[in-house]
Amino acid sequence: MSKIGHQPEGVRPPSLVPPPLAALFSLLIPGLGQVLARSIRRGLIIFFSYITILGLMIWRFRLAAPRDTGWLNIFKKALKLDNLLLSATILFALLLLWIAWDAYQIARHRERTPVGVFFMIILVFFALGWQIGQIDLVAMVAQMDEAGPPLARVLWPWEKAIEREEETVQAFADIQVPCVGEPPAVNQVSGDEPTLVATPTCGELSTQGGEPGTTLHLEGYNFSPDNPVAIKWKDPLGNVFRQRQSGEYVVVTPDADGHFAIDIVMPYRLLPPSADEPFYIWKVFGEQVASVGPAHLSKDFKLVVEKMIETIFIGMMATFFGVILAVPVSFIAARNLMSASPITLVIYYLMRGILNVIRSIEPLIWAIIAVIVVGLGPFAGILALTLHSIAALGKLYSEAIESIDPGPIEAIQATGATWLQTVVYAVIPQIIPPFVSFTIYRWDINIRMSTVIGFVGGGGIGFLLAQYIRLLDYRSAGMAVWFIAITVAILDYVSAEIRARFV
Amino acid sequence: MLEVRHLTKVYDDGTVALKDVSFTVEDGEFLVVIGLSGSGKSTLLRCINRLIDPTEGEIIWNGVDITKLQGEELRKMRRQIGMIFQHFNLVRRSTVITNVLSGRLGYTPQWKSLFGQFTREDKEKAMQALRRLGIEDQAHKLARELSGGQQQRVGVARALMQEPKMILADEPVASLDPVLAHSIMQYLEMLNQEDGLTVICSLHYLDLVQRYATRVIGLRDGRLVYQGSREDIRAMTDEEFKNIYGEEAERVSGGLQGELQSTRGGEA
Repeated sequence: MSKIGHQPEGVRPPSLVPPPLAALFSLLIPGLGQVLARSIRRGLIIFFSYITILGLMIWRFRLAAPRDTGWLNIFKKALKLDNLLLSATILFALLLLWIAWDAYQIARHRERTPVGVFFMIILVFFALGWQIGQIDLVAMVAQMDEAGPPLARVLWPWEKAIEREEETVQAFADIQVPCVGEPPAVNQVSGDEPTLVATPTCGELSTQGGEPGTTLHLEGYNFSPDNPVAIKWKDPLGNVFRQRQSGEYVVVTPDADGHFAIDIVMPYRLLPPSADEPFYIWKVFGEQVASVGPAHLSKDFKLVVEKMIETIFIGMMATFFGVILAVPVSFIAARNLMSASPITLVIYYLMRGILNVIRSIEPLIWAIIAVIVVGLGPFAGILALTLHSIAALGKLYSEAIESIDPGPIEAIQATGATWLQTVVYAVIPQIIPPFVSFTIYRWDINIRMSTVIGFVGGGGIGFLLAQYIRLLDYRSAGMAVWFIAITVAILDYVSAEIRARFV
Repeated sequence: MLEVRHLTKVYDDGTVALKDVSFTVEDGEFLVVIGLSGSGKSTLLRCINRLIDPTEGEIIWNGVDITKLQGEELRKMRRQIGMIFQHFNLVRRSTVITNVLSGRLGYTPQWKSLFGQFTREDKEKAMQALRRLGIEDQAHKLARELSGGQQQRVGVARALMQEPKMILADEPVASLDPVLAHSIMQYLEMLNQEDGLTVICSLHYLDLVQRYATRVIGLRDGRLVYQGSREDIRAMTDEEFKNIYGEEAERVSGGLQGELQSTRGGEA
């Protein structure tokens, strides 16, 4: 059965212009050659892709060289500054040639539809994306080193989970400034009391001009072994400050016997002049924080556990409220129930519209709004998640209602059952399994979401996690991350099990 | 006696499914309705128990006009008419016994049935029905776990629970293979002959029509185009046949033996 003028699939009518001319046209206005070769859609796609890329390139060039004026200057400067932009430009130029080549091919071979030009367009977009996204793999690898220690703390935070009572141990030595008359006696080591012995016991402070003060030799005895000791001063007015040596705080670690020795230069310190006293007594001391008593769970650990429980309950309450409200909503949003009259149909469209809008706004945004309304805390998180749950579940439930099999309804009606009996025997058995499945799925999502909703003040562990990260307390943050991971993993397993049983 | 007078059904979208259809069915008859998919067979059956409201005409059953019934009266009428469906229409996620018991809903007080409270006699009766159909051992399985033939037997058992005076069967064997088709048809024949129920059944296979029908009506494009006895259909001429199934229809294997399906397919 052949018709006149019938053409096999994929063969275009002949080109309006000869192939070289098509190539030339496409070089002037990309895509024009293809259009003239009677491949209109292809030409338009090429044209609009090209225009889009051109716009993006202009934007990136101006951004790369914001202070330059004149197109040529901007162009030169940007290429010099940005290697990625240079490669994108080269690809862009290649693309133009390829488009011309494509036009030539299209005009010449009516049965061929080469796809190379589209790969080229995608490649240029990819290069631009690399530049716009400021992707820097080198930096990522180079900075891995610095990220190591905090990352290690996050990965294994449990040292912070256990703590012991701490006690501060201090041992003082008097230093007379300046050396006049009889200097104070040198401390004697007695028994197992921590003792600091300073020699000499008098000296001069460093001056503002840079003259170094007297060098003191400090020896510590009976300190707790292998536990750092900070060297500090207490000036005659009672102010405490730490000893610095070439910019660093001085910290020494005693050996196994609790002994250490170190030389320090007396610091510079401005004191209000006092006429009467011929000298002042300064005190140098070693300070050590020692753990004493039995180990117990740390405050941060307890806080993380408390907040994790709070988080699970935020997710649970949000799911609970979400389900209760989503069920009636879903009936209103089910087309098969609402298509009876124009009025109900309008309500259906309205409901669907509202649900779509609520659902398209992320729970985090809702949480920010909820915080404004009810203030910081878990209730804001519950509100935000509830709202999002209603919208998401309302849609899923209503789709489950829409997809029920009308056959059983018809069959139950035919037995002489009432409307209510029909619903109980034909509708509910069909929608219970998907409802249960969607509810558990939502519960899963809600607990996941509740872990981050705290970042914007919605309560739960996210609140704590954000705080720890800002305080650079990576160990505590690590504990929070661990608890989130464990909870989510357990939940994943449990919800999969329940769903497998029900559906 | 069931009397259908000038029955017409026009759907909301303007489709004329039935046009001025009139016939009568005596009690205890096995009436078979034949016709192409879309010829109005399903609509006709559903008008009889008012799953579909007819646009015009009357259906008089034992002196009562079914088309005028409302509410309680309609439900009381429906519970005396059992219905069997092509796709069985079981609640697939409920157990077999629950599906069978749902046939009693028309007799059970609403508040009791909402909590699944059926009487001991009803449960006994359900087991009996399953026994009669040979699927007693499947009672506590989910309906969806059963094979097609077994599901249709559950459908028959559900209809039996209504203690019906009439059975409507809408293509009861179209989803089954020929062997199963005969076994289901034999159950219907048994109900027709042993229990004396009136059976109105739409069918596609001509050999089944010849084997089971005591009377046949043919529909084409919503019009009644054929009425005949069992003897008539055995002696059916090509002309009559084409009148029902259209010009393009051809007899399978030359004669009237074997399966006869329209060349134009599609679900009813």
